[in-house]
Amino acid sequence: MLRSKRSEYFTAAVLMAPFIVIYGVLFVYPTIKMVEQSLTNAPLIGAGKWVGFDNYLRLASDRLFSVAIWNTLYFVVLSVIPSTLLALAVALGVNRLKGWLQSVVLAAFFLPYILPVSVVFRIWSWIFDKDFGVAQYLIAPLNGGHSLSIFRTIPLFMPAVAFVTVWWLLGFNVLLFIAGLRNISSEIYEAAGLDGASRLTQFRRITWPLIWPVTVLVFTIQLILQLKIFDQVYLFAQGGRVDATMVMVQYIYKQAFQMNKGGLADAAAVVLFALIVVVSVLQFQLLRARGAR
Amino acid sequence: MSAEGATNGSAAGAAAPHVELRRVTKRYGAVTAITDLSLTVEKGSFTALLGPSGCGKSTLLRMIAGLEEITAGQCFIDNIDVTGTPPAKRRIAMVFQSYALYPHMTVRQNIAFSLSVAGQSKKVQNERALEVARILELEPYLDRRPAELSGGQRQRVAIGRALVRKPEVFLFDEPLSNLDAKLRVQMRVELAKLHAELGATMIYVTHDQTEAMTLADKIVVLDRGVISQVGSPLALYNAPLNKFVAAFIGSPGMNFLGVDITATNGRTASVILPGGRTAQIGVSAGASARSAELGVRPEHLTIVDPNDPQAAFAGKIAIIEHLGNSTILYVDTPAGQLIVEGEGDLDAKPGQAVGLRLSESHARLFGETGATL
Amino acid sequence: MTASVSAADLAAQPGARRLASLRRVDLAGLVVTLATLLGAVFWAFPLYWGLVTTFKPEYEVVRPGIALWPEHFTFANYGHVLLETKIGLWYVNSLITSGAVTLIVVVMAAGAGYAISQLDFPLRRFFWWMILASFMVPIPALIVNHFILMSQFRLINTLAGVVGPQLIAPVTVIIYKQFFDSVPKDFREAAVIDGASDFQLLFRIYLPMNWGITTALAIITFIGAWNLFLWPFLAVSSEDMMNITVGITQVHDAFGVQYARDLAVAMLAALPVALVYLIFQRRVTQAIMLSAGIKG
Repeated sequence: MLRSKRSEYFTAAVLMAPFIVIYGVLFVYPTIKMVEQSLTNAPLIGAGKWVGFDNYLRLASDRLFSVAIWNTLYFVVLSVIPSTLLALAVALGVNRLKGWLQSVVLAAFFLPYILPVSVVFRIWSWIFDKDFGVAQYLIAPLNGGHSLSIFRTIPLFMPAVAFVTVWWLLGFNVLLFIAGLRNISSEIYEAAGLDGASRLTQFRRITWPLIWPVTVLVFTIQLILQLKIFDQVYLFAQGGRVDATMVMVQYIYKQAFQMNKGGLADAAAVVLFALIVVVSVLQFQLLRARGAR
Repeated sequence: MSAEGATNGSAAGAAAPHVELRRVTKRYGAVTAITDLSLTVEKGSFTALLGPSGCGKSTLLRMIAGLEEITAGQCFIDNIDVTGTPPAKRRIAMVFQSYALYPHMTVRQNIAFSLSVAGQSKKVQNERALEVARILELEPYLDRRPAELSGGQRQRVAIGRALVRKPEVFLFDEPLSNLDAKLRVQMRVELAKLHAELGATMIYVTHDQTEAMTLADKIVVLDRGVISQVGSPLALYNAPLNKFVAAFIGSPGMNFLGVDITATNGRTASVILPGGRTAQIGVSAGASARSAELGVRPEHLTIVDPNDPQAAFAGKIAIIEHLGNSTILYVDTPAGQLIVEGEGDLDAKPGQAVGLRLSESHARLFGETGATL
Repeated sequence: MTASVSAADLAAQPGARRLASLRRVDLAGLVVTLATLLGAVFWAFPLYWGLVTTFKPEYEVVRPGIALWPEHFTFANYGHVLLETKIGLWYVNSLITSGAVTLIVVVMAAGAGYAISQLDFPLRRFFWWMILASFMVPIPALIVNHFILMSQFRLINTLAGVVGPQLIAPVTVIIYKQFFDSVPKDFREAAVIDGASDFQLLFRIYLPMNWGITTALAIITFIGAWNLFLWPFLAVSSEDMMNITVGITQVHDAFGVQYARDLAVAMLAALPVALVYLIFQRRVTQAIMLSAGIKG
């Protein structure tokens, strides 16, 4: 279409300006700085001397760092897999309902997702409270009659936080699965029913393969999301042995804001970045390959 | 190539072309869509750009509108070179195939949009919109949204949006394609009336030869980016310059059969028809060939007694279609299946053996290149 | 119990097997539906339990036994929280920062989305790839450098400092771009012939035709900004500057743990976003599907 190049560039400049400024200052620059500073021994605020890969070597030998990586991966496994599968099950169930009942049930599963993390924290620390929490009615019998502080029991900490996280975020996955299920025409099920396929067969041969792309999507999103976990772990770990249950972003936080080691923290951040890239590319390829089979 | 004895405006000033494309070429990267094409449109005329899809007719229209850049060549509107001018400044208005009515605006706002963009007061906008709505009988719909209108009404709103700008040239890009058959006929009549009333220059793109034949005073037939022929509807019908035009115009289409030429004398050629009979067909001076294709329209073939000595073919009726005002017969002959158009009350039966008489004065010969001999 | 009677009657007739298997299928379906309903009850229970606790006086809260409804329904906890904590201030802070983030992000994303979608200018491709690539960088990894940057601008412990890093919203730009791409070219051409400039095109055609998207994106951005914990937690140290999500974790009573009050302040924090969701349910789910579609 005919238009003057100059006026087009000018319009583009005006429309892109806010984006370019924000993106450049708040994203590009800090990212570059992150990499750069990881190669120095800078404190949180201020400059530091160039130390090359020293920080990375320190991370490799820091036991706390490997604990953080391990805890993060452990948490991811505990939360992503159950939340994906459970969401599919819930979606299958909710999809069968109709009308207002479906709306109410869906809202019940989805509402937690809207809550801020601190509210979720408050609710569940109350429920699991050692002295007065309602969950103790279930826990105490399993613990020889004594009430138990779940979040102070190190082996139970991660599973408990994962459990809370699943409660919190399930609705998001359920929504995506329902959309995916709705895309499968009901005629396919009718035909299968006439062919004599049982419910289980229908699920295995029709639903599961057709919903696979959504399953991959949900899994991917949750995976990348949970690798960056901080909020719940930090909140539930307050007052306990924080180091034992540390996760990666928490490590970054500790090094930068408590140990005043900006350079080291940035190195950890770069490692997290690399981890996310590698993991997401890997699992996407793997799952895609499996789906293509 | 502007054939058909058209003036280039060099004679009387009154015939100066309103719109002129001078040797335009359009390239999309490595693909050339239009090469060295020249075209004139007279003021007040209704000119149709006709051709099958991909022939470049829409591209030409959009180049006139300024929606496509002209790779080489020039475009003039009212003798002003507008080749580099943006569409808004060319004093043209366009009606799109899909109407492109803004769905979130009322009919009134749609029509008045160009005025509002130009900063005209609400008063002026409403006045002009009302004026246009009256002409197009859209008054009761002024406050409705396009979604609430029928196809024909939406079309009129699109025309209204063009009208309100009082443009020099109206451009139509296959505006009737989205309507059902009956509505199409109705809107055709409306468009003809509109042209008669306004007397404005209209350029109309279509692939439907009936639309072109009924609406236009001049038709430009396009074939793969090149002008095949320019002329009035009847000129194109009766005197096609090549096989493409002959085949494209007219419904049911012209019959084509291969023939051998035995002799030519500069004015007529003697041909041998499939099946052995002979005919004398008029040719232009200088035509010479051994074999050619004979084209004859269905209404120029007549059903006669199979033993008629003057019959050009002997054949058997395969299918009969009774249309009421005419009858279409599909007759198997040595020349293949020929389509014949006869009177509405023709008495014939499928399987009947018949003879076909050919009106030699109306038949044409087409050479290897497709040009009329 | 007429069902079993007719089943016995019909069992003797042809087609009875089909009927019987249909009833069997129904049973399984019934089980699934029941399980779903039970699941919903279980899912809703924690929120309900937290809510109902806030209406109990503290002595009831710490009593043994499970009381699903307060014996003495009271608003005292809320009263205390509203008067004794800085919750009013936190609400205001949250409103200001969330509102600012929403406004700026929507304006920025609509403009950039339109430019990338409809205009041709140098570096256009480059910016687009940059946006797509930015997904890989986790925002929590940037907290250190965001902190440094904000302190360089002296914005630590200010609302503006809280807003800053939240303005990175590649998903919003991508969604706008995709929706602008999907506007048929005809509308653009018709408007251009009518004389509209690009700004007029954006504000009078492209945006109005996509109001639903703008609403959905604005709501989801607002909720996200309201609920954000990590960055506001880092960026402010004084209670006066906290947003409500951070603030409620800082509530410490002089008299030890007060469960009902802690929960009451949490409920107050959740109230606005819960209301927004319940009112704009459709838009929220739409926005979530869109952003998930992008990440997939």
